Order: sequence, then C-alpha cells, then structure tokens
Amino acid sequence: MKGLATVLKKECIDNLRDRRTIISSFSLAILGPALFVGMMAFVLNTALGEALDPVKITAVGSDNAPRLMAYLERKNTEITRAELADPRQSVRDGDHDLVLVIPDDYQARYRKGEINALALIHDSSGLGRSKRDMSRARALIAAYGQVIGALRLELRGIDTSIVSPIVVQERNVASPAARALTILATLPYLLVLVVFMGGFYLAIDTTAGEREHGSLEPLLTQPVSRAELVLGKLGATVCFAAMSLVLFLLSFWIAVPFVPLERIGMVLKVGLVDCVVMFLVCIPLMVFAAALLAVVASFAKSYKEAQTYLSIVILVPTMPLIITQLMNVETSTWLMFVPSLSQATLVSDVITGEIIEPLHFLISAVSTAVLACLLAYLAVALYRKERILV
Amino acid sequence: MITAEGLKKTFGEVQAVKDVSFSAADGKVTALLGPNGAGKSTTLRILSTVLQPSEGRASVDGHDVLTAPLDVRRAIGVLPHNAGIYDRLTARENIRYYGELHQISKIELNRRMDELITVLEMEEFCDRRAAGFSQGQKIKVALARALIHHPKNVLLDEPTNGLDVMATRALREFIQHLKREGRCVLFSSHIMQEVANLCDDLVIIGHGEVMFEGTLDRLASRTQETDLEEAFIKVIGE
Repeated sequence: MKGLATVLKKECIDNLRDRRTIISSFSLAILGPALFVGMMAFVLNTALGEALDPVKITAVGSDNAPRLMAYLERKNTEITRAELADPRQSVRDGDHDLVLVIPDDYQARYRKGEINALALIHDSSGLGRSKRDMSRARALIAAYGQVIGALRLELRGIDTSIVSPIVVQERNVASPAARALTILATLPYLLVLVVFMGGFYLAIDTTAGEREHGSLEPLLTQPVSRAELVLGKLGATVCFAAMSLVLFLLSFWIAVPFVPLERIGMVLKVGLVDCVVMFLVCIPLMVFAAALLAVVASFAKSYKEAQTYLSIVILVPTMPLIITQLMNVETSTWLMFVPSLSQATLVSDVITGEIIEPLHFLISAVSTAVLACLLAYLAVALYRKERILV
Repeated sequence: MITAEGLKKTFGEVQAVKDVSFSAADGKVTALLGPNGAGKSTTLRILSTVLQPSEGRASVDGHDVLTAPLDVRRAIGVLPHNAGIYDRLTARENIRYYGELHQISKIELNRRMDELITVLEMEEFCDRRAAGFSQGQKIKVALARALIHHPKNVLLDEPTNGLDVMATRALREFIQHLKREGRCVLFSSHIMQEVANLCDDLVIIGHGEVMFEGTLDRLASRTQETDLEEAFIKVIGE
C-alpha cells in the first residue's frame, strides 16, 4: 500500500506542474458552466423578447397617418417620430434600424380610395432584432390595410370573405420553458465529459508518456508490485477526474443564479447538497473513466498515439446519452446498468429536483464499480506483461 | 554477486539471447562487451527482472529473478539504457521518489541523498527541475536514484552513451568508487577502450552467446593479440 501511495503522490505533483495537463483537465470544468449559463440566458432572452418586447419603428411623416400610428401603437409598437432628409442613408449608416416613410399625399389618396405605397426601409444584412421587427411591422401594416379594405367592401355591401378565401393560422407551441429544458438536458452530458476530460492527460502521461520518456523501465526495477504501481497511477487519474468534477460543480453552483429562469416561471434550485449528491453519484464513474482511459492508453506506443486513441474513446461514454436523448428514453431500471448513462440520468434527476430512487443509485454504483474493477484488473494484467516495455 | 546460467530469450521468431552464462563477483567491475544487437541489453533486462528468461536461470545474491523478483530488485540498482528522469521534478525529488518506493525512512533518505549528491558532485543543480539538464546531469540523477537504497549490485546499461569526455571520466571514477566499496558492478558497453580502463572481468557476447569470460590478461593470452580491439574481433569471429 505504501508503494501505491508514493506513486499516487508523485503522479499528482508531477502533473499539477504541467500546464498542458492543467489546461486540458480543468478548462472545460471551469468554463463549461459559464458557457451553459450564457446559452441559457441567450435562449431565454430571445424567446421572451420575441413574445413581449415591442417592435421599434422610426416613422417619417407620421402626422400624415395618425390613425395608422395609433393602430400600431395599440399593437405593441414603439414609434419614434422623426424627420429624416435621407431615410435610406440613415438606415445604411445604422442610425435607425427600421424606418417607415409615409408620403405627404397619404390622406388625399386615402380619401380617393387609391393605393398608398408606404416604404419600409431596413437592412437585411443586420442580425437579430431588425429582421424580427421588420417582419412584425410588415405584418401589422398589412393587417391594418386589410381592416380598411374589409370596411370598404362592407360599405359596398360585399362579404369580406370573398377576398380572403384562405386564412393561415400559425401556432407555435414551443414555450420558452421547453427550450430552456432542452439546454438543461445537455448538462448531464457535460458532466460526464468533465469527468473523462479530468483524467484524460493523466491517463496518457502515466502510461504511454512514461514509456516514451524512458522512465518506465527503471520504475519497473523498483521493489513495488505491478498492481501497486498501476493502481497508484489509476488513483492519481481518479484524483484529477475528481478535482475536475469538483471545479465543475463549484463553477455550476456559482453560475446557476445567473440564469434568468424566473422570467419563465421556472425554478432551478441547485444547492450545495445537490452538488455533493451529484459528486457521490459520479465516484464510480471516475474510477471507470480512469481505468478505461489507462487501459486504452497502455496499448499506444507514444504520447501522440495515445492522444488519438483517447479522443475517440472519450466519445464512447457520451454515445448512450445522445442515443437515449434522441429516442426519448424514460428513466428505467435497466438504464442504471450502463456506466455514464446511469450517472447522467441520476444527475438529471437531481437537477430537475426529483428524488433519486435508492435502488437506482445502488444499481448504478455497483454495476459501474464492477466494470471499473474489471478494467483496473485488465490494466494491471497489461503491466504484468513484458510487452508493456516495447 | 550475479550469476546467469544458460539464459535464453526469444521474442516471437527472434532469438535475442541464445545461451548466456557468466558470473560477476562482489568488489569487482565486470564488463558485458559485445556489438550492437548481441543481446547485452536483453541480458541486463533479465537480470533486472523487467524481462523473464525463456529458459535458464539467473540470480542476484542468491535470489532467483523468476521466483523472487522483489528481493532481486531490492538487491540491485539499475541504470537502463537511455533512462529517462522526470522533467517536472527537481533532481532531489527524482531521487526521493525512488527512495520512497524502497521505503527508506525519511531521515535515512535525506542522509543518503546528501551523500550521493556530494559524491556525484550534484550540489549545483540538485534543487533545480530536471527539464533542460545536460545529458551528464541527467545520468547523475538517474545514477543517484538507482543507488539510493545502497544496493550491493549495480547494473549499468551503456552508461557512457552520449556523455562528453569530462562526464565519462567522472563516471569512470564513480564506478571505481563503487568497486572500492565492495559492490558488484556489471556494466555493458560496445567500446573496447572504455572496458579496458575499467573492468576486472570481461564477458564478451556475440549473437546472443557468451564467446569469452575471464580477465583481460586471459583474453590476450588466448587470442595471442596484445591489441584489445583485435582480440575482441577475433573472439566474436567477424
């Protein structure tokens, strides 16, 4: 056991001094939640903005059509009245996003029943708001025009339905809450990835790295059993995976209050206790990840080769998550037998405030731990072979 | 005391060692001499327990490499070919790691470390991180960590490889120092002159077999050659 502890300590100190390992192990853990909050805030704000924020229009010659202005203002439009010498240029220059030009002879033509052409000047190369405002303004003005047209037909005793044989009714069922939940569902996936990324470089450095560097052979001449040697290295990898997860959970805990979830009436309460539960759920996964990464890295002849293999391996645990999400699989007992998938499901339960079933927790922990032990045994067996040197 | 009897080692189709028997005595420097690919490294790797012989027996101070590898490892200090040290650890930390693996007590470990640092003249760089060390400095660190548990037997695989004249000279003196302490030193080389200056006993290996075992004088009398290089070439039959 003393040999194991010595190896573990050395690998941790050695790798904590490596900037490359630190960046690779912890950047996702620290930046992930910030990215997550940013995405959530963006989606929520745009979703809510579309529904509630008024359309902003700059009107030139607004006095010519006071009733149109009144109609627009009733329909949640913010009108800035202005007299612009060259409305096109001012939109081009970006001084105004959307300009409605009402000609001076508007009233005269209106009274005569002639067509009035209103110019709506916008810049389609702009992003975000201006496009949305443009289509909303166009729809509002068209609707106003239809109201006037209908009134005129009725005055002449004609049924208005004759000019609108088809009516399209659009219903968007996606609520802001549903969109927020879609992003929330990626969180367990991120968490599993953070565990694997935490151990990624250590798994390489302690196996393929050590061999490439020529320090493995002298190490094998030390009076330490291969089991202690390998388990010490795995222990260090688990430590890094754990550090990565702790940083992630801390960062997440700090970031959560910044998500404007209350605007859609949702409550996301992730307390420190929840973070501890999530950590506990993931402990067997850390051992599993460390052993899996170490076994694969042991087959590689060089650092680079190991890196290539592991970047593929790291996708494997995320596969079941993607598949179940696409297939919309419900939480069930059999899911708990699959490492990474069971942890992700349990973490998802914690986040959405559901109570974890003790049986599920138990099955997840035991089955993942058993697989982790098998992989660790395989790693030790690989190190007992002479081939590990060549 | 190191003995090898009828060692054989095959890697798949390749026979790296066919028949190697010799013994290296305490208080003497024994050289394992042979051309590249003769099986020197493989023999040393079997003796240091990282490889297992396909056939034959080998023992260090009476401990069999197959049945008691941990005892063998405690009795030997090994400097493998092109041994790497840890760049992100200081020289001292590199040595301490091996000392801890040998479970030497802290006080004793510090005492031996200071001693080795003095003998190997490492004071100047012992607290610096190993990244950027010269080849000579690296070898010194690797040697110090191999000897931290004060092993009775020392195995050195081409230790002068990549060293300049001064460093080679220092290493030669250090090997003499180990010999005076009564240790059994076994080192491999493919350079005849180096061997002549250093060793008491000579084991010449060619094509995986021992071609000659004995003192330098015996080699000269057997081959009727006073020039060592000529004698060497005669023995390996090229």
